[in-house]
Parts: sequence; structure tokens; C-alpha cells
Amino acid sequence: MATRSEAMAPTWKEGSVTSWLTTVDHKRIGILYIVTSFVFFGAAGVMAMLMRIQLSHANAGFLTKGAYNEVVTMHGTAMVFLFVVPVLAGFGNYLVPLMIGARDMAFPRLNAASYWLFLLGGLVLLSSFLADQGGAQCGWTSYTPCSSEEFSPGHGQDLWILGIHLTGVASILGSINFIVTIHNMRAPGMTWMRIPLFTWAIEAYSVLLVLVLPTIAAAATLLLLDRQAGTTFFAPENGGPILWQHMFWFFGHPEVYIMVLPAMGIISEVLPVFSRKPIFGYKAVAFSTIGIAFASMLVWAHHMFTVGMPTYLQAFFAATSLAVAVPTSVKIFNWLATLWRGHLIFRAPLMFALGFLGLFTIGGLTGIMLAVFPFDYQAQDSYFVVAHMHYVLFGGTVFGVFAGVYYWFPKITGRMYNERLAQIHFWILFVGFNLAFLPQHLLGLMGMQRRIYTYTQGGIFEWYNVISSIGALLMGVAMLVFLWNAVASWRRGRRVGPDPWGADTLEWYASSPPAPNNFDSVPYVTSARPLRDLRLRLQERET
Amino acid sequence: MPRKLTASVPVALVLALAGAGAAFAAPGGVGPPGPNTPSGEAISRLYWIVLGLCAVVFVLVETALILFIVRFRRRRDTPESAEGPQIHGNTRLEIIWTVIPAIILAALAIFTFTQIPAVQAQGVEDEAHLTVRVEAHQFYWEYRYPSGETTVDTLYLPVDEPVELELTGMDVIHSWWVPALTGKMDAIPGRINSLRFVPETTGDFEGKCAELCGVQHAFMPTTVTVLDRDEFESTLASQQEVLALGKATWEGACATCHGLDGQGDVGPPIAGNGTLTNPEALHDLLLTGQNTPQFDYYMPPVGRGWPQKQFDALSAYIKSSKTLSTAPPATTGGGG
Repeated sequence: MATRSEAMAPTWKEGSVTSWLTTVDHKRIGILYIVTSFVFFGAAGVMAMLMRIQLSHANAGFLTKGAYNEVVTMHGTAMVFLFVVPVLAGFGNYLVPLMIGARDMAFPRLNAASYWLFLLGGLVLLSSFLADQGGAQCGWTSYTPCSSEEFSPGHGQDLWILGIHLTGVASILGSINFIVTIHNMRAPGMTWMRIPLFTWAIEAYSVLLVLVLPTIAAAATLLLLDRQAGTTFFAPENGGPILWQHMFWFFGHPEVYIMVLPAMGIISEVLPVFSRKPIFGYKAVAFSTIGIAFASMLVWAHHMFTVGMPTYLQAFFAATSLAVAVPTSVKIFNWLATLWRGHLIFRAPLMFALGFLGLFTIGGLTGIMLAVFPFDYQAQDSYFVVAHMHYVLFGGTVFGVFAGVYYWFPKITGRMYNERLAQIHFWILFVGFNLAFLPQHLLGLMGMQRRIYTYTQGGIFEWYNVISSIGALLMGVAMLVFLWNAVASWRRGRRVGPDPWGADTLEWYASSPPAPNNFDSVPYVTSARPLRDLRLRLQERET
Repeated sequence: MPRKLTASVPVALVLALAGAGAAFAAPGGVGPPGPNTPSGEAISRLYWIVLGLCAVVFVLVETALILFIVRFRRRRDTPESAEGPQIHGNTRLEIIWTVIPAIILAALAIFTFTQIPAVQAQGVEDEAHLTVRVEAHQFYWEYRYPSGETTVDTLYLPVDEPVELELTGMDVIHSWWVPALTGKMDAIPGRINSLRFVPETTGDFEGKCAELCGVQHAFMPTTVTVLDRDEFESTLASQQEVLALGKATWEGACATCHGLDGQGDVGPPIAGNGTLTNPEALHDLLLTGQNTPQFDYYMPPVGRGWPQKQFDALSAYIKSSKTLSTAPPATTGGGG
């Protein structure tokens, strides 16, 4: 038996539950993050389906009024703060030390603290539903004065604020940990131009989080003080409601890229492996990540084109928003070029990665349309925006996350998932997603505004809603297929070796699942594809 | 064959939806409705241009994707371990596909900027124009005209005359959106936002609140009625009669939550309630709202900013209505 570092721990920590409660191993914390955020994903997904049932026909009475507003608020908040950001943190936790050839994160205890704070924050946020006079009801953006004490009495909004605070602190601690780890713990020979592109993306994700999360923390603190301590930061005669919007979106827009960049990183890992080619233009992909991260901090007010900003400011934010499309299109073209003349192996990770490419492109293009701000005067706060945002965050990020789940499933569990079920999952999700969200573009242009609990129009307007609701339910079915596949394969899947895909990066050098100390030794890194180099060296030796 | 399906599904979906949209109703959501104003026209023009541009890029990218999926899938006779050509990049190609999008986007930005004066109807400022103050409340719209007229939820405008709306929020943020006329503009407490346009078609145009403003956000409709000048003046005058103003106020400010007959909906039933029939008590309640924990119901201060004549009109209307001024007969539970 190899020496296990955990054998040194006191015996009470060895129980099957206590070992998870006390773990500081980045892999276990990564698994905790991923599983917990998928549980929250399930909860937020059920909320989405409740909304779609309510909207499936005109004048429905399934979920009404206040309840609908609570669900609309919690769906958005939970998807952003309890699913997408933490599930990416989970992948980062599990993979970054392995990818850079380290034995753990730089600060293992801090890492555990991040996870437990995140879990606590999630529970506090969801407990908002139980508050007197109902949960938070002003949308995930919680604009003042809707979210002020006067118009949102009760403690639902306060719990929302505390939940944002706790998950925010968790993310900041986690991000500092990622930055220190990536900067200091890379294997010998792994220069900045040799780190895996997913690690590049986590670096950008972490830097952005550290830069912008304090803004939302400050805004939420001011709101809490306004509500509970009688201050008047957001009162019209002082900072005014627009101050909240600036602070919220200064965080909120980079947050979109925080959620998209790591998924792009996953795509940049999956496409080369399943095309049997290197990534086309490593430097361009890495630098476009930085370019997007930088530009993302200059575009926030494009969420505010209808608040009555001076025209020159609107023009500025339109120009910067259009500029983000440049590094984004560089990425798309480089990914396409990676496929060029490859030998595409159609396993689930590649299918989801290609789904990402196709769907994210649509979300990116409607983003260009919305940046043309006179058109935004029509589309703002309509279902066009809802559709756009889901093409970016679901068609983009969530498809990327699933590509990652299937790609690293054998590494994390030591077992292979069921390919057939995974493909069924992909097709139901792909069809369901497009049915759910394509018609929403048209609904938005027909004048359906966001966050309404019902509508009175019949005809084509109602039909689009029917189609959208059917799509949403199909997405739910797809998730059940996924859940079944994940649970069954984790327990009974075929066992696999360290490197079932013939991959390029160091996490596949460790055993599946990796030993607690990850590696006994790491080969000297001479390129961005150390494992392929090793494979070639071994082949040379054999021949 | 799933691989071939990869290719056809997104394309088929797009075509089917666009086709369905175009076939059913014009415009069926394929473009913004209207336009019935020059500003709306400028927005639609921009929309079609940027949509066309994005459609070209969409078709190029998705076609390339589908072609590559079909063309470069691993053949049965190729082993899984076989590698494709080890191409690490091509600087010239990458520069080309960085610079071309940059040029296209810059051109789009410049073209957008040239449309701003038309979209914002900037010339209107200097012309003689009608200025209407729009006060957005939970959950209705109050319109105030220059000579002191007030209407609720319906905005009357003369055709072909420039109008400037001065929007403000009386409680939370609302957003005034009449898609067939022009883009939306937020009504924000403490700020006055201006929205200018020239209605060119007579008729009724339906609008709504676009910013989540509370429990009845979905039911905060407005109608813009565009009339010939003479008709505009006479209609506006007739709307100032006490009972007409009272009725509009009841329907806009009260009935959204308490029901048309005061039978209760989001808010409690109030028909025949003592406060409702006591003008002074009603006046106080409408100004302060109801936000104390011992009552189950939260009520916004809907009467903020009303002129005295509007309070009087509401009370007169309530008094004139038998349903509202007398308590409904007690119903026996479980009947029926």
C-alpha cells in the first residue's frame, strides 16, 4: 500500500462522513463543489420549469403573482451564484493542481473554508423562501427601490443579501487561492505559454472575481444598511436608484464572462483531444481570454441603455460592447480551425463542445444586436434578452460544463460513463434547449416583457410560449437521463486507466481517480501538451 | 444517423421558427412591430441591418461547423489513436480573422451612431411640441398635460405633432414601452427622463411596463390613443369630467389589485369598506399606503402626486357606484 497522507490524521476523521466534512484535499473539495452545485442546479431548474408551466398558456393560474416573482428571483440568483460560478470553481479545484502538476492548492484549509461558506451561503439564500412575507421578489438584479424596505417589507430580501455576501466571500477566498496556486505551484518547465488553456481561463476567472466581487459586496452592504439601519444611500435625493445599477452591473457584466471563460477553457481542452490535433493558435486563444476579461470590465452600462444616460455614454458602452466581439470571434475561428482536418471522435464531450460552439455563436450574435443600442431600446427587458442570455449561459456555459463533466468523469470517478445515455442526454437537451429559447427571441420582439407571471394574448404569441414550455420540460427530461447516467456509472461503470482519451495534459498522468498526493513525481514539462510528449517518448523507446 | 442530425437540427429549427413566425401574423416577432413613428422606423432599419449582418456570420460559422463535422469525422478505418495534422496555428490567418471582424464592427458602430438623431427624435426639442409628464406608479400610469388635464393609463396624443414625454417613477422603477411606437424608457424615482417621438398613424397602441415593479408587474398596461387634433382636444376635455376621471382612476389605480368591483384580487376585497366611502380617510390611505406588519397586505402609496381634483373625482365615482359604495351581501361558505 502506498503511504496515504490521511493516515496521519486522528482516527475520528476517517469515517466515511467525517472524512468528507474535514477534508482539505483539493479533489474532494472539488467533488463537494461540483455535487453541491448540481443539487442547486436541480433546485433552480425545477423553479424554471414551474415558471414555464405557468407561462405555457395565457391567463394561467398555476403559480401566481408574488410566488412567481419569488421563483423568478431565486431561479436567476441560484443559477448564477449557486450553480455556474461554484461548479466552475469545483472544476478548477479538482483540475488546476492536477493540470499544473501540483499536489494540492496553495492553501488547502482556506479552500475548505471557501466550500463551506459557499454551502452556507446557498442555504441562507434559499431560506429566503421561508421568510415572513415571502422570498426576495425583485429579480436577481434586485434593483432599488423595489428591493428597499418600503417596497419589499419582510426579511426575504435581507436573506438574499446575506446569501450573496457568503457566496461572494467564498468566491473571493477561492479565487485568491487559485491565483496563488497557478502563479507559484506549476511543475518544472511549465512556463506561462505551456499551462493548459483551462488553467488560463481559471486564472482570468479568478482575477475578475477578485476585482469585481467587492463591488457587489459593497452594494449589497449599502442596501442592507438602507433596509435595516435607516441609511439612505439609494434614496433618490442621495445616490439614487441608478447608483445600485452601476454597482450591480460593474460586477454583473464581468460576472457573465466569469461564467463563460472557464467553459471556453473546457472547450479548448476537449476540442483538440477529440480532434486528435493541437489547439489552433494557443497564444491567440490564451490572449483572447485576457482580452475578453479586460474588455468585460468596460461594458457594464450596456445593461442600462434605457435609464436615460447621456448619449455619448451610451455610444461609449455600445462601442466597447461591440469590441468584446473581436476576441470572442477569434476564439470561435480558432476552435473551428482546430477541427479542420482532424479525426473527430464523436463521444459525449465532443458533442457537447460542438453544441457549445453552435449555440454560443447564436448568443454572441444576438449580443452584437443588443449592443446596437437603439435596437436595445426595443429589446431591453424583453424576452429577446432572456433568449440571448440563455444562449450564452446555457447554450454556452452549461453545454461547456457538461462537456467537462463527461470528459473528466473517468478521471474523477475512475469509471467510464454510459456513452449511449450520454448521447441521448445530449440530443434531448439540444432539441429541448432550442425549442425553449429560439421562440423567446420572437416573443421579445412581439412585446413580451421579462418577469411577467402571465399574459393575455392568444394566437401565435401563445403558441410560441407553448413551444417554449415543451422545450423546457424536455430539458428537464434530459437532466433526469444525465442524473441516472452519473449515479449509475459512478457506482457500476467500467473501470478505466489513467488516460482513457489519449489526452494532452498532466491530470491524465495521475491515476484515475488520482491518489491523495496526486503524483509521486511529474515529468519535466517541455510543451503545452506534456502527456502527448510523454506518450511519443514512450513509443520511440518501444520501437 | 446522429452525425447527420447534428447538421440538420439547428438549421431546420431556425427555418421552421422563422417561417412559422412570418407565416402566422405580421410581423410575428420576426422584427419589431410598427413602426408608426420616424424613431421607430430608424430602430427597425437598424434592426434589419444588424440582423442581416449577424445572419451572414451565423450562416458562415454554422455552415463551417456542420461541414467540418461531416467532413472530418473519424472514418471507420482510422484508429482512435491516429492523429490529425499537427497544425499549431497560422499567424497570418489569425490576424486576418481578428482584423476583419474588427473592421465590420467598427463600421457597424459608426453606422449606429449616425442613426441616433433619428432614433431620439432630437429635432423635436427645438420645435413647438406637446410635453406630457408621465408619472409611473405601482401599478398604473398617470399622464399630466400642459393645461392641467390628467388621464390614467390612456395617453391621448394628436397625430403628426411631436411629443416629449417626461417620465418619472413615483415609487419604484418602471419602464414605459409601447413597441409599435418606439423604444422604451425607464421611469425612475428622482429622475426625469425624456422620450421624444412623432406619432404618424391614428389609432390605439398598446403598451406595458417593462421593468419588474412588483406583484402586478404583468398587469400595468397603457394605451396610446392617437387622434386628429380636434378629436384629441374634445376627447381630452371629456376625460376631465369628474366621473370619467374618477372611473379611469378607479380602474387604473385601484382595480388592478382590488378587482373591478372591489371584490378583491391581490389586494383584499374593499367594496363597501368604510375607508373607501370616507373621502378623508381614503385620501390619507392613498398617500401613505399600507406597510405595517400587523396587516397581511402591503399597499403602495398609489395617490402620491395626485391633484386634489383627482381625489375628489375618485370619491365621486365610488359614491356613484352602487357596487363600490355598499357592502356586498354576506356569502355563505360552501354554497353552490
